[in-house]
Amino acid sequence: MSGEKSVTLQKSPTLSEIIINNELPWVQLIESQLLDIPRPVMPLVLNGKRLVLFRNDGGMLGLIGRNCPHRGADLCYGRLEDNGLRCPFHGWHFNYIGQCLEQPAEPKGSQMYKAIKIPTIPVAERAGIVWAHWKERYGFDEAVNTAT
Amino acid sequence: MISQELNDKITRVGSGTPAGNLLRHYWQPAALVEELHASLPVAVNLLGERLALFRNDLGHWVLTARKTRSDEPIVYYPNADQIQILDDRPIYPAVEKNGVIFAYLNDSDPPDFPNFDCFRADESHVFAFKGLWECNWLQALEIGIDPAHASFLHRFLSDENAEDHYGKQFRDKVIQTNIPITHVLREYHCPEIDVEETNYGLKITALRHMNNGTTHVRITNQIFPEAICIPLSQEMTITQWHVPIDDENCYWYAMFTSFGEPINKQLMHAQRLKEHELPTYAPKKNRLNNYGYDPLEQKTQTYTGMGMDINVHDQWAVEGMGAIQDRTREHLGRSDKAIIRYRRILRKAIKALEMGDRTALPMHNNDQIKSIVGPLSNDTIALTDDWSGVSHRADLKRRAACSWDASIL
Repeated sequence: MSGEKSVTLQKSPTLSEIIINNELPWVQLIESQLLDIPRPVMPLVLNGKRLVLFRNDGGMLGLIGRNCPHRGADLCYGRLEDNGLRCPFHGWHFNYIGQCLEQPAEPKGSQMYKAIKIPTIPVAERAGIVWAHWKERYGFDEAVNTAT
Repeated sequence: MISQELNDKITRVGSGTPAGNLLRHYWQPAALVEELHASLPVAVNLLGERLALFRNDLGHWVLTARKTRSDEPIVYYPNADQIQILDDRPIYPAVEKNGVIFAYLNDSDPPDFPNFDCFRADESHVFAFKGLWECNWLQALEIGIDPAHASFLHRFLSDENAEDHYGKQFRDKVIQTNIPITHVLREYHCPEIDVEETNYGLKITALRHMNNGTTHVRITNQIFPEAICIPLSQEMTITQWHVPIDDENCYWYAMFTSFGEPINKQLMHAQRLKEHELPTYAPKKNRLNNYGYDPLEQKTQTYTGMGMDINVHDQWAVEGMGAIQDRTREHLGRSDKAIIRYRRILRKAIKALEMGDRTALPMHNNDQIKSIVGPLSNDTIALTDDWSGVSHRADLKRRAACSWDASIL
């Protein structure tokens, strides 16, 4: 793992995507104030992992995989509501650590949501900077999903 | 979740691939008749092959391979004088059906066409159009056999005036009621789904039980291997193919079929030209402009924030999965019942071809194929404890009043 660091801000095909390559245990992502926008949801690629960074209603930050675990829809267009991010395809709802909490199109009483979790990277805010705990990333399949 | 190996097997369509071989046993939409006003030949990119469409000496439509530049874009419409036909390649038959040219990319004898409404309706009652989606054909098809997504992806947070619904999906009122379909979809988002295997593919019934003792019944269909037939409005259905250009791009070809008035084709065409570029039929809203995404609209008007055109919603959903959806990471639920059932038929058909048995393929028995009619496709309201049969009766009534021969007996 190289400690080399590069940050690119670019207008990408999907919204304004931030691309960061830095394999240190803690990686500096962005200034917190970049999220002081009406809809704080941002596509971000960290070391090849396609992610979404968002702030929930309670102020917590989430950094989770970009594709919905259901059928792969792009969560950077998700609905920021009910203290989490909701997939516009079937309304699956996720909290800031990527745990699925609702699958409104599944039959009443279905417990399937409990087993659905999006890969996630812990984040912390210090002195106006958002940091990702890259070393503690959870749930990523290291063999796939690294293409941008 | 499925293995990468299986995902490749059911998605990739080049010559010699299992799914590609299967699709080469069915007539494929290759061009719209409206594209042929220019001089011939016309370039057709289909199933990973670069072809040219022209008339042979007998005046029949045929396709054969054309010379290809290595840097040629995948969606490519050169002028006729730039097309060089290769004369040592197989020649494939093509036929015209109500505004669409269908091609059969195989040396074997093609099967007959089933007697579907879109083929037997008068030309005045069918309108055809197409559009480009930049993703694999299978994910494009699968969204069409998923009745639950309409309650979310196509949700309007308020109901548009149904008087302005002509030629648009989901904007009509439910038959014999004043309830806009948008209302039913929004308020009853967890349909009971029933899937039945038929001689053409799947009949999919979505029941939305409403709180007044009635049930909204929506019947849609999967037509094997790559089409759907769904209601557009009370008088129209859409039969729509998801045709691979190559592994990572496809066209939808839709045949809008009216059981009532002749179709106002000029209006339908103008509505769609507003949203598409010619000659590629690429949507004006696409990945490069974020599908017109507007966070404020998402908060107040539509579930996606991508405007009122439901084609754009579908396009976003399927293109966002990636060029070929990574099904090793998917988690199908009960709402995906029809997708699961469809993949079973697909795998069975692929297997039959691997064993060299084409008689086992759906719609390949020419003795029976002309008796395949319909399919029934409508929205109705019924009493919750007596919904079965209501769709069928409404269908018969619509057919009996139809100006072209829509009888199914």
